[in-house]
Amino acid sequence: MTGGEAVKPTLRLLRSLGTEKRLGRMLVVVSAGLLLAIWHVWARSNSPLILPTPGAVGDRLVSYVSEGRAWPHVKITVQEIVAGFALGSFVGIGLGTLAAEFNIARRVIMPYVIITQALPKFALAPILVIWFGFGMAPKIIIAALIAFFPLLENTYLGLTSTPSLDLELFRALRAPRWVTLLKLRVPHAVPAIFSGLRVALLLSLVGAVVAEYVGANKGLGALIIVSQGMLDTELMFVAFVLLTLLGLALDKLHGLAYRLVLRRLYGRAASSAGRVASHVSV
Amino acid sequence: MKSRSVDVALAGSGHIEVDQVTKTYASDAGDIQALDAIHLDIAPRELVTIVGPSGCGKSTLLRCIGGLIPPSEGRVLIDGEMVTEPDPRIGYVFQKAVLLPWRTVEKNVLLPFEIKGRPTSRDLQSVREALEMVDLHEYARHRPAELSGGMQQRVAVARALVTEPSILLMDEPFGALDAQTRDSMNVELLRIWQEAMPTIVFVTHDIGEALFLSDRVVVMTARPGRVHEVIEVDIPRPRTFDLVESDERFWALRHKIRAALQ
Repeated sequence: MTGGEAVKPTLRLLRSLGTEKRLGRMLVVVSAGLLLAIWHVWARSNSPLILPTPGAVGDRLVSYVSEGRAWPHVKITVQEIVAGFALGSFVGIGLGTLAAEFNIARRVIMPYVIITQALPKFALAPILVIWFGFGMAPKIIIAALIAFFPLLENTYLGLTSTPSLDLELFRALRAPRWVTLLKLRVPHAVPAIFSGLRVALLLSLVGAVVAEYVGANKGLGALIIVSQGMLDTELMFVAFVLLTLLGLALDKLHGLAYRLVLRRLYGRAASSAGRVASHVSV
Repeated sequence: MKSRSVDVALAGSGHIEVDQVTKTYASDAGDIQALDAIHLDIAPRELVTIVGPSGCGKSTLLRCIGGLIPPSEGRVLIDGEMVTEPDPRIGYVFQKAVLLPWRTVEKNVLLPFEIKGRPTSRDLQSVREALEMVDLHEYARHRPAELSGGMQQRVAVARALVTEPSILLMDEPFGALDAQTRDSMNVELLRIWQEAMPTIVFVTHDIGEALFLSDRVVVMTARPGRVHEVIEVDIPRPRTFDLVESDERFWALRHKIRAALQ
């Protein structure tokens, strides 16, 4: 029992995931090509007012971006998303931590949370425009309102799912409450919080865009409404593509941040395995 | 424990008195009595094992001694002082290693110091010594996930010993390990015990393990948990499995305990 038997099941797991990953990527490329082909054929038999071809959308996208007309819209929407996400995360993680730490806080917070969730937040957009005008504030508030819930939920669940034996160890070591929180419960909750952040990020994108529908003159949501008014379906599709790319970019950033945090926590080997785990849990 | 000459007069050396401890849990089906008037006197540096069928309250008794749960009646004294909360003189080893997976082996062993405050260079030295004692100093920078189950449990032993407690409470620590690993862990535990000399209270359901390790075996019966018998193990030390198993007394005691458990 001198311990030469360090096991490396993680390595084997990663290797088998490697081939599966390549196969998966190939299938994505093939099916995407197929979908584009179907879109193309479908569009050719329809008016471009109903459905422009993928080629036409591509050309329009390139010219729209290269003329520098896309950037002002993207910039505004990104600012709204980031601000709404930051505000929603701060409130969500804060309230989730309070609810997990103090029973009384949970009893007070939860009814309000359920009310804010039952209320359709997009229905609030018009009144927010009346209160705060056509600027970014109503969009940020809507984005924050829908982003905070998954974070509150996941933070609470993450912090309260610490194994009881771990808690007993900290009790036996006479750890003060805040030490137990910082050194045990928070690190344990990291994967849960990050999967909450991921959902919150994409939800704040939806929140910002939908809030723009109600009253805005800039932003990708505003662009969609404008192109609807002008019957410029091509431009509308350009906005869809930009929104999708934006969502993908934000999700990638989240993945990167998560990997960095996992690497800090678990060292090198665990970082890619952890990301896989978070994909499953979302 | 009379087999080894020990200076019992030393103060603060891990003397445990369990004085008529009763533990009752409330449940939907009425009160459940886990422990019934347990009385034990464990001498400093003694190695006592507690055996009994599952559900006999062995773990409950250990948690009462460790101050993790209060007894319903009676009291536990350590070096004459009543235990009311987890005590710094006690080190704990649980059924599972309970290592924090995001910490390296040495950071896991450092945890007791970190919880007390900022670790000093002397604390770091203690961590090195504790890891050497369980023969894992080469794995100081590894993460728990890279170690086998037996190695992980040795890290847990090092973490329990690093603060040099006078008492070590072990709750079926090797129960989840395979038989061979368990045997070698038991041999190592005896070596560590001889080196560091804490009082050890060791819960197990394995009679062979209990006889190999202990000065005395406390045999408990189930529901309510009572002390059925306390058996002196007069097999000479140092012990090896070969020596112990070739000793007639081992088989006689084994038979006696098995009979008591039925």
